[in-house]
Amino acid sequence: MKKFNVFINIEKEEQWLNEQLQKGYRCTHINSLGLYTFEKTDQKYVMRLDYQEYLPKEKREEYIGIYEDFGWNYIKGSGLGIRYWQKEDDGQNEIFSDRQSQGNYYKRLMNYSLWFGMLCLVFSFMIYKDTRLYHAGLWDMNGALFWKALIFETPFVLLKLLPILMVGIFAGSYYKAYVKYSMLREKG
Amino acid sequence: MKHKLLPLSETMHYILLALREPLHGYAVMQKIESMSEGSVSLAAGTLYGAIENLSKHGWIEPVGHSGRRKIYKITEEGSTILKMEQERLSHILSLYEEGDVNEEV
Repeated sequence: MKKFNVFINIEKEEQWLNEQLQKGYRCTHINSLGLYTFEKTDQKYVMRLDYQEYLPKEKREEYIGIYEDFGWNYIKGSGLGIRYWQKEDDGQNEIFSDRQSQGNYYKRLMNYSLWFGMLCLVFSFMIYKDTRLYHAGLWDMNGALFWKALIFETPFVLLKLLPILMVGIFAGSYYKAYVKYSMLREKG
Repeated sequence: MKHKLLPLSETMHYILLALREPLHGYAVMQKIESMSEGSVSLAAGTLYGAIENLSKHGWIEPVGHSGRRKIYKITEEGSTILKMEQERLSHILSLYEEGDVNEEV
C-alpha cells in the first residue's frame, strides 16, 4: 500500500503513521516527496519520530547503533532532520523515558519550526516585495471579463500566499512544542 | 550559577554510577535496570541524549570500541560531581534521620 501525505507538524505525522500501523501495516519506505510505503503484517508495530539536526558520520553511527540495540529499525532520516524509527510493539515503545530528554525533544522541535518558519518568512518577503497579489489591470476590468479574470488569477494568488501560510503553520507548531516544553520544565 | 545538569536527575545519576566501570550504551541500560531493581528502564533516545550531554560536559569519555559500539567511562570531573552529589544526598538523608529522632521524643 502506498499513501501520499504532507506534514509540517512532526507529532501529527507520527500520529498518522501509527494510525496506519494499527490497521495492520508496517512501514517499509518513506520518500522525501511524501510517499509512504506500507506492507501488510500480522505483527503489531509502532513508529516514533525523533528530530536531530545534521549528525556527522561518527555521531550518526552511534545514534543509530544505540537505537538499534533497543530493537528500533531506522526507516529513514530525512534531509530535514526527522528520524523515523519503527519497532515491533513489545510494551516498551517510547524513545524517551524521562522528563529531561522529553523536554529536550520539544526544544529541538521548537528549533525545527523556528528555522523553517524563518526560511518561509524570508521567502515570503522575496515574493511579496515587488509583486502584487493580483494583476494591476484586473481592477480596471468590468462585468463578466472581470469575474473571469478574477477566477483565472485566484489559484495563482493562493499559490503565492502559500509561503506566508506556511509561516503561520510553523508558528503554530512552534507554539505547541513550546507549551509542551515549558510544561515539562515546570514539573521537572 | 549552578551547573545546568545539577542536581543530577535520576537518569544522569544512574548513568554516572554505572560508568564507574567501562561500558557501551546498551550495557549501561542493562546495568541500570539491575542496579535499580527494575525500576529504572532507560529508553533509546534518553540514553543517547544523556551520553551526548555527559560527554559534552566532560563527565564521561569514550575509552574504546567493542565492535561498532563505543565504550564510555566516567572521568575525574565526573567522579568529583558524584562525590558532591553524595555529600548533598547524605545531608538530606541525615535530615530524614533527625526527623525520626524528634518524633520519638
